[in-house]
Amino acid sequence: MKKKFLLLLLAASAFSYASKAQDTVKTTADAPLVLYGSVDTYYKDDLSGHGNNIPTSFASDNNSISIGMIDLGLKKTVGNASFVGELSFGPRNDQSVPTSGYHIQNLYVSYNLTSKLSATAGYMSTFIGYEVISPTGNFNYSTSYLFTNGPFQNAGFKLTYAFSDKVSLMAGIFNDEWNAYTSEHDVSTFGVQLTITPVKNWTAYLNVATGPTSGTELDLTTAYQITTAFKLGLNAATFSPSHYGGGFSGVALYPQLAVSKVVTLGLREEYFKAKTVDAGSTYVLAGPLPGGSVIGSTLTANIKAGPLTFIPEVRLDKVNKQEYSAFTNSSLAPTTSASQFVLAAVYAF
Amino acid sequence: MAQKDLLSIDEHNKYIYYQVVQQPGLTADTFQNRTAYFLKINYPKNKVNKSEATESITGTGKLLMLTGISAAKHIDGEVRYFFNIEYKDQKYRYWLTDFVFTPYYVDRYGNSVPQPGIDIPLENGAAKLEKGQLNNYSIQISNYSKQFGDKLKQYMLMVSAAPIKSDKKKVITTKDW
Repeated sequence: MKKKFLLLLLAASAFSYASKAQDTVKTTADAPLVLYGSVDTYYKDDLSGHGNNIPTSFASDNNSISIGMIDLGLKKTVGNASFVGELSFGPRNDQSVPTSGYHIQNLYVSYNLTSKLSATAGYMSTFIGYEVISPTGNFNYSTSYLFTNGPFQNAGFKLTYAFSDKVSLMAGIFNDEWNAYTSEHDVSTFGVQLTITPVKNWTAYLNVATGPTSGTELDLTTAYQITTAFKLGLNAATFSPSHYGGGFSGVALYPQLAVSKVVTLGLREEYFKAKTVDAGSTYVLAGPLPGGSVIGSTLTANIKAGPLTFIPEVRLDKVNKQEYSAFTNSSLAPTTSASQFVLAAVYAF
Repeated sequence: MAQKDLLSIDEHNKYIYYQVVQQPGLTADTFQNRTAYFLKINYPKNKVNKSEATESITGTGKLLMLTGISAAKHIDGEVRYFFNIEYKDQKYRYWLTDFVFTPYYVDRYGNSVPQPGIDIPLENGAAKLEKGQLNNYSIQISNYSKQFGDKLKQYMLMVSAAPIKSDKKKVITTKDW
């Protein structure tokens, strides 16, 4: 534990020059008390006609007009000090926080130690991965296997330093378990995020989270707004638990094309593989059985009407072999593929 | 008060807030010193272009576009602008132009951050933004520009550019009365 704190301090003191911390870009010093959030609702039809074949997070109700969550955030910056408090209520909240019925999505304070170095402590969205809990932060309404099986939030303390407007580094020490308000035993997950902006409008994040309890995830998340109409995103990750094998690896590609002022089309093409487990393993993931893989293809449209976004989406997932699949068809017989249609409406404010 | 009509169109078909101010008795050098002090105090985050020229100061700045009730605002985005302040003996002029809007989104940490790759010149706002949005932003830009000019005028009129220190508050003693 002490060694990790020392490493953290060394990492912070080694940095020499930079401009702005990209990990926690501030809303500017003169920002007022800012209110933000969203409300979302959806209808889903699993084309098997029953249940919840595709096991990724949220939008879990079949053949039902259902609610996601109401998300309410407040933030304020005074001088170098700022806070963010974000609460949410609803099924999407309950599936995304450590304890169903608790409502904290983000709760942290931050302080700019210098114009280049900031310190942040509290419970915050994870730095790992491409997709997020808030429906306003994702293009697709359904979520990927990489997102579902990775961390959602981390509680901890982190320092962020920007070497320039193109390179910054975050280093932090987090609780031993992901998605938990308190640690199980100690504060022993070490996290690092290297942010690189090779060219304007292209940002890449190289992420590592590792600890004796949490296991180790290596992650690359990148997005490039190539033209005003075309954006390409990519997420690649591999995770290994600390003991008995298991884990996953995968890659997802996110091309998106704005075809008009209000309509953008996007595809998520994901390959996800469940690693094999050793005897005695209790590791369980949402996806194919250990040793199997799945390809998920999701075609989504975002149709804007002011702050409201309509999201029609079709998705087809196919597992490589029947023996690794938990999908069933309309007769409840095992099958290798599953498909669903979703229509969601998300209001952002 | 809504003041979007304060913006005009210049010879490059760009929106501009333009003013010429007569100020008898002051030299160009004085204007320059007071402009530099005005920018340093009021707009410390603005980038001022380094130039050999003594008759003008140019640079860039930005302002947030806010919506919502007065107690709690929502940040829609930012508008970047170019400013130019020029002086001659007895008068100065200034303008703000090249207004470019970039929408913000709320990132995973709750921070409002610019959407990369989306820059909308105010002149193209009608095609890219909703009418109400454009109207709201135009009003905010106009008010900001007027405030910029009003503050500049105050500093140009200051006899001393240095801030006037307020007198120490009189200490009341209750022993003597």
